[in-house]
Amino acid sequence: MVTTSISWSAVFSRAAAAGVLVLFALVLPQSASPRFYPDDPLWTDNDRVADASKVTSVEDSNSYDFVINTLGDPGERRDVRALNVNTVDEVPDSSWFTNRIGRTPMSVEAIRRGPDRADRVNVAGWKVSGGKSAGVQPGFRMTDAEGQIYQIEVDPSSNPEIASGAEIIGTAFYHAMGYNVVDVYPAEIDREALVIADGATIRDPLNGRRRQMKKYDLDNVFNRAARLKNGHYRVLVSRFASGTPLGNFRYYSRRPDDPNDLVLHEHRRELRGARIFGAWLNHDDSRGINSLDMLERTNGRAWVRHYMFDFGSILGSGTIFAQRHRSGNEYIYEQKPGWLTMATLGLYVRPWITIDYPDVPKSVGRLEAERFDPVKWKPEYPNAAFANVRPDDAFWAARIVSKFSDAAIRAVVEKAEYTDPAATDFLAKTIIARRDKVVAAFINQVCPVVDTTLSADGTLSFTNAAVDAKAATAPERYELTWFRFDNATDQRTTAGDVMRVSTGSARMPNGLAGDFIGVSITAVHAQQPGWTNPSTFFFRRAASGWTLVGVERGAVTAPVLRG
Amino acid sequence: MRRVLRLCLTFLSLVTSAVSAQEPQTREEADRQRREQQAKEATAYKPNGLEKALDFAEDRAIFLLDREGFHPKLGSLTTGSGFAYGVGFRDRDLFSNRGALEIWAAGSIKRYWATEARMTFPRLANNHLHLEAWGSRRDYPQENFFGLGPDSNRDDRSDYAIRTDHFGGRAGVRPVAHLLVGGGMEYLKPRLGAGQNDRYPDVPVVFPPSDVPGIDSRSDFMRSSAFAEVDYREPIYAKKGGWYRFDFSHYDDRTTDQFTFNRFDADVRQFFGFLAGRRVIALRLAASTSDTDAGQTMPFFFMPTLGGNDTLRGFREYRFRGPHAILAQGEYRWEIWSGFDGALFYDAGKVADTRSELNFKDLESDYGVGFRFNTNNGVMFRVDAAFGSNDGNHLYIVVGGVF
Repeated sequence: MVTTSISWSAVFSRAAAAGVLVLFALVLPQSASPRFYPDDPLWTDNDRVADASKVTSVEDSNSYDFVINTLGDPGERRDVRALNVNTVDEVPDSSWFTNRIGRTPMSVEAIRRGPDRADRVNVAGWKVSGGKSAGVQPGFRMTDAEGQIYQIEVDPSSNPEIASGAEIIGTAFYHAMGYNVVDVYPAEIDREALVIADGATIRDPLNGRRRQMKKYDLDNVFNRAARLKNGHYRVLVSRFASGTPLGNFRYYSRRPDDPNDLVLHEHRRELRGARIFGAWLNHDDSRGINSLDMLERTNGRAWVRHYMFDFGSILGSGTIFAQRHRSGNEYIYEQKPGWLTMATLGLYVRPWITIDYPDVPKSVGRLEAERFDPVKWKPEYPNAAFANVRPDDAFWAARIVSKFSDAAIRAVVEKAEYTDPAATDFLAKTIIARRDKVVAAFINQVCPVVDTTLSADGTLSFTNAAVDAKAATAPERYELTWFRFDNATDQRTTAGDVMRVSTGSARMPNGLAGDFIGVSITAVHAQQPGWTNPSTFFFRRAASGWTLVGVERGAVTAPVLRG
Repeated sequence: MRRVLRLCLTFLSLVTSAVSAQEPQTREEADRQRREQQAKEATAYKPNGLEKALDFAEDRAIFLLDREGFHPKLGSLTTGSGFAYGVGFRDRDLFSNRGALEIWAAGSIKRYWATEARMTFPRLANNHLHLEAWGSRRDYPQENFFGLGPDSNRDDRSDYAIRTDHFGGRAGVRPVAHLLVGGGMEYLKPRLGAGQNDRYPDVPVVFPPSDVPGIDSRSDFMRSSAFAEVDYREPIYAKKGGWYRFDFSHYDDRTTDQFTFNRFDADVRQFFGFLAGRRVIALRLAASTSDTDAGQTMPFFFMPTLGGNDTLRGFREYRFRGPHAILAQGEYRWEIWSGFDGALFYDAGKVADTRSELNFKDLESDYGVGFRFNTNNGVMFRVDAAFGSNDGNHLYIVVGGVF
């Protein structure tokens, strides 16, 4: 027999607890945030607001970066919209990224110049101030008369100009895209004139210990370097970034000690989009250890600036040799093709092995556009941010790529100052051809409607980014679904039937009113199935008419009610 | 009642904190609040165990084998020595980085041991001149011996011990790229003794001394040599190109004047890469021949041998020995992953009693499969399984490559 005793004090306590919770729910102000704040869309993410002076250096080793990304599964892998975009689906300026060609037209000269503060540098009179700390490219450090440090790197004797050319080209492109990069310059060095500064040190390559730098350390660099006919050496001069080095960032997770680092890196749009840029320029070396974080100070507050770094292994360059055939086509370690090759005693031939690379000057290395497939392109090993790329991320990046004109591309390649004009010509043509493939592959995965405006009289205007980029022909028609939008509840209420138009202009339905309205647009095109993936635009009523306040590319993520 | 009182206090504190944390009115304010909150929660970065281990390996352990000063010496001492370990000291910073000194001593699991001091000047005269000098002692206590000539019997396995002191020097000139020619002098002091492997009889137990020239020798030798080497492999673990070496040596018996002889060795290796160098056909043809003046004999321990992990892999170490030898090897190598190759191989060769018998008739042969961990500079580690001989199947786990 089971007996039950009742504790009246316990009953009373539970009732009191329930009452407290109900009261709490009633008394507290509504905590749900509105979809759009009055200051949306924000074009600057003030990620220097909190003091980051306690941040410490995180410097990944090559092997850890490879192992964790190849055999591990770091970061959050989920199909979620990039978390650092503003409400119009763009990347605001931040310590990571500055909108350049993507938002404002850049002149060919500005693209070519990149981050450089000077037209050229002359290293005469500079002193050798130390060894190079990392990387496979032989080099050392020099300091100019003002105390500014530069890294000096040479090209391999087997492939003169290959790494320096790639670095100069990559730096200019990534700068125009919006990333932080350092100034790089080609220069000429007279080996005999070099002077090692007192106190210059080097980490001994034989035992890893730091010691005083000696003349033969320079011999070890120049013994592996391509020499010019006049006996001098062409070198790449890279200006050290300002601030205190903090190692590298990762393409996943956050710096736990940086209060400004709010967004998981694998969900940052500019890091996801780097996969598209990487495919275009064959930056298979785009990985955490080729990035750089620097601690800077503004108004007494410390903050971290994030750099893209080391473009010596892009395009056809493998830094100290021509790029490998595998580059861009397969990870260093990829199970399936490896096991297949092993089991078949090599009778299974990976597709990339049969790519017939064109016969080009050695300064170019190994690059081609004909068999290049931007969708299948791969870096050296998996990358969490790249794995999270969605059609909206790809569209954002492809649109930036589309803004590099043929003239701009040629100007950037010419900046590398290849001795052989055939190298310049081949690279420019190949980069242009790869650009066209990248844009065609990624700009059409969503409905590519852009530059959408809604005038005070209710006229909607838009353009088609894919058509403008010559990556597609005009669609058969556009289909527009208008809706009212409740900013507090995030609910949409459809207004009227689907509207069909053949040009980039339409009238808002009569009677559609409210503080927020929106229109979801798809396009019908026999060759572009991705255009049925809608782009949705939100407008806020303003004194002078309607202001674009939101853009969403891809499937609707909030409930839709029928009006 | 205390519980009720506590609940009320909780309620009050919740309300107070909720009211004090004002709802942001702008996006910028919302982001600022999030950053303020994160600043409170910020923690120092703590690397995990894997990260620490790999960082250490890359930062320190990678220098262990190749480091300056004292370092471990790992690998094998000679064919059949088994895995050896010891300690070495090196200094590659002699004479303003022109010269290098390496001293080491190591013993193997089969009680082989060796010690060596070597000084090299590899880049003199603007990389055109190579000088080298060495002194060493090698003590190999259980070397196989099956008899001389192609018809030796596997059941006649016996062993002997040999300890050799070497003192020598060599100079090489590189007149043009890919070509090295030169010569050298070396004083050798080999001393033989009873084999230490209890499972096999000593050589004199199985063979009469007349069948084993030099078994009783206590001669010292002066070896003078000339060589030419062509190397245009790309890269060193070759996907294409070739490596050819021709070596002529005169061994002068300085003690008894019974064992003076000449020996000529040729080793030609050619590599044919295809499918972007991911498949390579590697071929090797090596031959060794010798001659003696009247009344002189070539001691057995200076004769070329076949058998073991780098010649006829289907046969045990030193299975065949004779004054002349020929070896042909072929490998088909296919890249499985970067730095990891598979290989199918075929070896054929024989020793001969006379030079006229040095041909491709009646060759011993074997075949097999292997895997190699490699870099562009060579094979670090390989596993080869050899079959098809009349000497059983053999599995080799070897530090280093074949050819």
